[in-house]
Amino acid sequence: MSSDNKIDRKEAIKRAGLLLGGVVFAPNILGVLNGCTATPGDWSPTLFSNDQARLVTALADVILPADDSPAASELGVPQFIETMVDEVYSDDQQQEFLDGLDKFSDDYRAEIQAEYFDGNDTDKYDFTYHQNRLAVEEDPGSNPFILTFKELTLLGYFTSEVGASEVLRYQAVPGAYEGCIPYEDVGKTWATD
Amino acid sequence: MNLNIKAQDANTYDAIVVGTGISGGWSAKELTENGLNTLVLERGRDVKHVEDYPTATLDPWELPRANQVTDEEAKHYKKQMRTGYTIRESTKHWWIKDTDQPYEERKRFDWIRGYHVGGRSIMWGRQSYRLSPMDFEANAKDGIAVDWPVRYEDIEPWYSHVEKFAGISGEALGLPQLPDSEFLPPMALNCVEEELKKTMSDQFGRVLTIGRNANLTQPHNGRGKCMYRNLCSRGCPYGGYFSSNASTLPAAAATGNMTLRPHSIVNAVIYDEETGKASGVQVVDTESGEMYEYYAKVIFLNASTVGSTAIMLNSKSDRFPNGLGNDSGELGHNMMDHHFRVGANGVYEGMEDEYYWGRRPSGFYIPRYRNLNGNDRDYIRGFGYQGGASREGWERGVRELAIGAELKNLVSAPGKWTMGMTAFGEMLPDHSNRMWLNYDETDKWGQPVVVFDVEFKENEYKMREDMKNDAAEMFEAVGLKNITTFDDAGAPGLGIHEMGTARMGRDPNTSVLNGWNQVHSVPNVFVTDGSFMTSAACQNPSLSYMAFSARAANYAADQLKKGDL
Repeated sequence: MSSDNKIDRKEAIKRAGLLLGGVVFAPNILGVLNGCTATPGDWSPTLFSNDQARLVTALADVILPADDSPAASELGVPQFIETMVDEVYSDDQQQEFLDGLDKFSDDYRAEIQAEYFDGNDTDKYDFTYHQNRLAVEEDPGSNPFILTFKELTLLGYFTSEVGASEVLRYQAVPGAYEGCIPYEDVGKTWATD
Repeated sequence: MNLNIKAQDANTYDAIVVGTGISGGWSAKELTENGLNTLVLERGRDVKHVEDYPTATLDPWELPRANQVTDEEAKHYKKQMRTGYTIRESTKHWWIKDTDQPYEERKRFDWIRGYHVGGRSIMWGRQSYRLSPMDFEANAKDGIAVDWPVRYEDIEPWYSHVEKFAGISGEALGLPQLPDSEFLPPMALNCVEEELKKTMSDQFGRVLTIGRNANLTQPHNGRGKCMYRNLCSRGCPYGGYFSSNASTLPAAAATGNMTLRPHSIVNAVIYDEETGKASGVQVVDTESGEMYEYYAKVIFLNASTVGSTAIMLNSKSDRFPNGLGNDSGELGHNMMDHHFRVGANGVYEGMEDEYYWGRRPSGFYIPRYRNLNGNDRDYIRGFGYQGGASREGWERGVRELAIGAELKNLVSAPGKWTMGMTAFGEMLPDHSNRMWLNYDETDKWGQPVVVFDVEFKENEYKMREDMKNDAAEMFEAVGLKNITTFDDAGAPGLGIHEMGTARMGRDPNTSVLNGWNQVHSVPNVFVTDGSFMTSAACQNPSLSYMAFSARAANYAADQLKKGDL
C-alpha cells in the first residue's frame, strides 16, 4: 500500500505544480478569482465608517504586508473582516470589536499625532508591534482587540485562494494518507486539517 | 388534518421500515433482498447520493464567512450547536433547526439530529467497533439493569456480514475486549502517534491502534476509496465512507422491492386487538398535512432511539394504554450515551523534519484496559481513548510576537507537533434516566414534544477521574511538554450515541424487546436502532446497530416465510 501511496503523492505534487506553476500574481484579476471577495477598491463598507474601513485596511496590511505574496488588502481581507463582524458576531461581540477599533485609532492618534491609516510604515509597524506584544504577554485567557483582529486577518488571508494555495499548501484531493514523510516533500504548512 | 384513508390494498406492503439512517438502511436492504415488498418511510426530504451533496467539493474560499453561519441563522440552531462542530455553512443543511423541532429538558440533554434520507449516516463519525463477549455479559455479572438476551456468539456472524458490505478499515489485534472486524487495510499512524504507541506498549502494556472506521482504504463493492479530504460530513462524492445513501439504500433499490417515501412522519403504529399484532402505521405527509395509513405484515422501527421510542409511546390502544409493547413500563427509560470530553493535550518536541500527506478522517484508538479481569477500580466498566497528533498550523500565529513579513514567514512553515485525546466512557443504564411525551405541547405537525430527564451519575463521574489522570500519565511517559488536562462532561446526548430506551431483555416484565429485537408482546414489530441497547459498552455503537438490524431483518423474513409472523 505504501508504495502506491508514494506514487499517488508524487503524482499529486506534480499535478499541483502544473496547476500553480507559471501563474503570475495579478492583483487586478483577484476580484474575479475570489468571486465575492472583491478588491478594496470596489469595496463599499456597510458596517464600518469610511475611516474605520481605512483603518482596517491599513492594519490588516501591517499584519500581513505584501512581499513575495500579496498583502492582506489585495486578497479582500478587510472586506472579509467586515463581513465576519457584521454577520457572524453577536451584537455584543460586534460592539466590542467596533469599540476596540476606535480605541486603537485613538491610542495611535494620541501617541503619533496622526491617523493610523495616514501613518508612515515604521510608525504603524512599531505601534502595532507594541500593541501585539502587550496583548500576547497578557493572561492567555483574555482576548484583547488586537488579537481578535489578528485572528480575523489570518483567517481571511488563509481561507482565500492565494493565501491557502500559494502562501500555504492546499491539496483539494490528497488521494492518499502518509503519516510520516520528510517535511521538504510538502514544503509549507498545510492550509487545511 | 384530513384523514385520507386510501384503498387498503394499494397501501399494503410485506414490510414497512420507519427511518433511513444507519439501522433503517440495513433493515431495508436485508428485507428487500429477502424478496419482501418494502415501504421505507423517512420523515425528512430525499437525499440522493452525490447529486444532493451541494457542498462536497467546495474549496475554503468558495464558502462565505470562512464556513461560519451568520449570527441570525445560528439562532435557529442553539441546541444543535452545543457540540461546537455541527453547524457550519458547509454542513448546516444536514441538521434540524431547533426552532422547527422543539423538545424539553428537565435537565440539559443535547438531542442532535438530522431529518432527511440517510439521517445521521451522512454525518456520523464512522468509528466502528464490535462489542465484546465481556460487554454482553457485563450486566449479568455486575447485577446492573437486566441481562442481555444475546451473547457475542449470537451476533458475531452478523458483525462479519455487515462489515464485509460496509467496509471497515483497521488493524487486527486479537484482543478479547475488542474483537477484530473483517478489516480492509488500516490507515497509517503518523510519526508522533507511533512514538506514543511504543511507550504505551513498553511502559504500560497497553495497546494503541489506528481508529477502526467505515472509510474505504481500497475500492469496495463499487464504491471508491477514501481520498483523504476529511470532508466526510458534507457527503462523499466518491462513496468513500459508509452511509445509507451510498451503500444500503442503493442495494435495497436495486432489488426492485423498495418504495421510498420521504416527507413521512410516522404518528403511530396501528395495533390490531383481534390479531394481537400491528397492522400498519399512520403517517403524516409533511408536504400536504394529510394523514395516511400503510399496512404490512412486519414493521421495523429505525427512527433513531428517541424517534422510535416516541412513536411507541404515542401508539396507544386499549391493550397498550402506556405505549405499544410497554407492559414493563421500561419504554422511555434507561437512556444512555457515552460520556467523554475528558483527557489531555500536550506538545511533542522534535521530529520537526517530519510531516504528513493527506487529511486522515480518523485518529488513534486506545482500547479499554480498565476492569478487564474483575473490577479493581472504584467504578465498574471502562473507557477507550480517541485522539491524534498533528503539527500546528497558521492559527498559532495569533498569539505570537511576530507581525508583518516575519509573521507570514513564521506561519508558512508548520509549528510543533501537538497531541490530544479524549476518553469515551461507558454510561450505565438507570431507570431514572428517561424521556417521555408532553401532550400539552405539540410541534407543527401535531406531534407531542419529547421531554428528557437524564443525567450522568456516580459511576460515570468516578470513571472520569481515571479518564483524565491516565491520559496525562501516558502523555508524560511519552515525553510531551505543556500537558494540560480537560474535563467538561457537557450533558448526555452530546456523544450523539443516545440509546437504551426500548431495551432488550429476557423477561417481558423488565424489558421491551426480546433477543431478536422483537417487541415481546407484539411479535411483528422489530426495533433495531439504538433504543434496543441493554448496556452501552464504551465502543462507538453504530456498527452494532448495523449487525442487529441485519440479524433481525433476516429473522423476520425467515419467520414470515415459515408463516410464523
